[in-house]
Amino acid sequence: MPRPTSFGRDTGLQIRMTLTLFLLGLVYAVLIGVLFAAGLNGVTILIIAAALFLFQFFASDRLALASMGAKEVTPQEAPQLHAMIERLCVQANLPKPRVAIANTPMPNAFAIGRSPRTATVCATTGIMDLLEPAELEGVMAHELTHVQNRDVMVMTIASFFATVASFIVQFGFFFGGGFVGGNSDDDDGPSMMVVILVSVAVYVISFVLLQALSRYREFAADRGSAIITGRPSALASALMRISGTMNRVPQRDLRAAEGQAALYIFPPKARQSLANLFSTHPPLEQRLAALQRLETQLQGTTAR
Amino acid sequence: MGLFDIISGRKKLARPAPDRLFALSTAYVTFETELSTTTRGVAGIVFQPLATADFEQIAADMVEVVQGTSADSGTTVETSDDDYGYRWMILRDADFDDLVVGVNAVSGALEAGGYGERILCAVFSFQDGRGRPLYWIYNYKRGSFYPFVPAGGAQQRDNEAELRLRAQVGSELPIEPELERWFPLWGIPI
Repeated sequence: MPRPTSFGRDTGLQIRMTLTLFLLGLVYAVLIGVLFAAGLNGVTILIIAAALFLFQFFASDRLALASMGAKEVTPQEAPQLHAMIERLCVQANLPKPRVAIANTPMPNAFAIGRSPRTATVCATTGIMDLLEPAELEGVMAHELTHVQNRDVMVMTIASFFATVASFIVQFGFFFGGGFVGGNSDDDDGPSMMVVILVSVAVYVISFVLLQALSRYREFAADRGSAIITGRPSALASALMRISGTMNRVPQRDLRAAEGQAALYIFPPKARQSLANLFSTHPPLEQRLAALQRLETQLQGTTAR
Repeated sequence: MGLFDIISGRKKLARPAPDRLFALSTAYVTFETELSTTTRGVAGIVFQPLATADFEQIAADMVEVVQGTSADSGTTVETSDDDYGYRWMILRDADFDDLVVGVNAVSGALEAGGYGERILCAVFSFQDGRGRPLYWIYNYKRGSFYPFVPAGGAQQRDNEAELRLRAQVGSELPIEPELERWFPLWGIPI
């Protein structure tokens, strides 16, 4: 029976991501409404924030690369990495991004750039030493999926009004005192105090939502990596190695483990659901579980 | 990728576009008569082997399919894995049309087995009038061809020769329009 693709659909992830974006839009709409109701001051703040945002949007690439100490490399300098990325690009139907290497022992990789044409993928020397080729391939495919999904752009735009809100929270009292303080009684819009309070609420809510969005996009990138390479388990193995938990899979012979140690089971950790709300990356367990599901789909052991 | 795909972070691989492959058969006439470029009687199709239970069986079936379709033409098939973890199915036949048919049979078999999106590209090996090797690579995702001329030395390619080839065969083949997608393949085993 021919299968249309090797992997099933990820409807659940799609729904959660769309819902998160919808809620973000809702929160932002409230903020915009309040800003306009506040009149001239609100609009001024919006314009200043937009200018800052544009600067960030166009300058962040080079800043990020420089802050990591990453250096672009030519195919002659890193032939293996370039050849690996070229093949992944053919498979993912992407133009080839620039390739950079950061000289640090910390195992990491990242992608920057607003669009596939201006993107740069970067690996540290640490990750290139640590991982097997197939694992590194999984990691680079994960970064290429970020490029293809335009995650930098999506996250930057999605966080624009959160930036505006934090801007108001930080400088709002100054604006409130300087501009509206004297004539607030003949102003029929909401006072600056209301704007600030709404901004605080918007900032807090959008922060949680943005972190959730970021986690969903990580899941999507893991999934994309599995689809590009066809090897979900290689990425899972890479994640375990990077997080230093490769020792989950014991290397020691069971018989060599002495006495009680073999019978010892780690106490199940209490789920840190509150901490989960504030992290940009999903917990390793969940990522591994998602990759495991993909591998199961690929192996066709569940109903197709 | 559409806007919705970007927003929802959805990922799909392009399906292979086999229909344009046969343009190479037609273009080969020009290769031979006008460019004195001839086949070296060998072509390869590159794909990612998956570690699934049915994949090895499908791969084994493919060899039979190719040998079946070419019972009277005498195409031989061998497989090899390269340094990057990709598998090459290498076809040898002195007749160029049979090579194209054989490559198409392999991609058809992979597609029928549900692994069509694992195909990376097909590589056809030629030599020019002075016996120098050159390759035409068919990118299945894009449905387009591009030339690849390795120059002497480690990972050097002869861009001038490649651009000249594009100009020479221009209208005969669907050529990849974006030069940054003329991905090299190093260590081609054919």
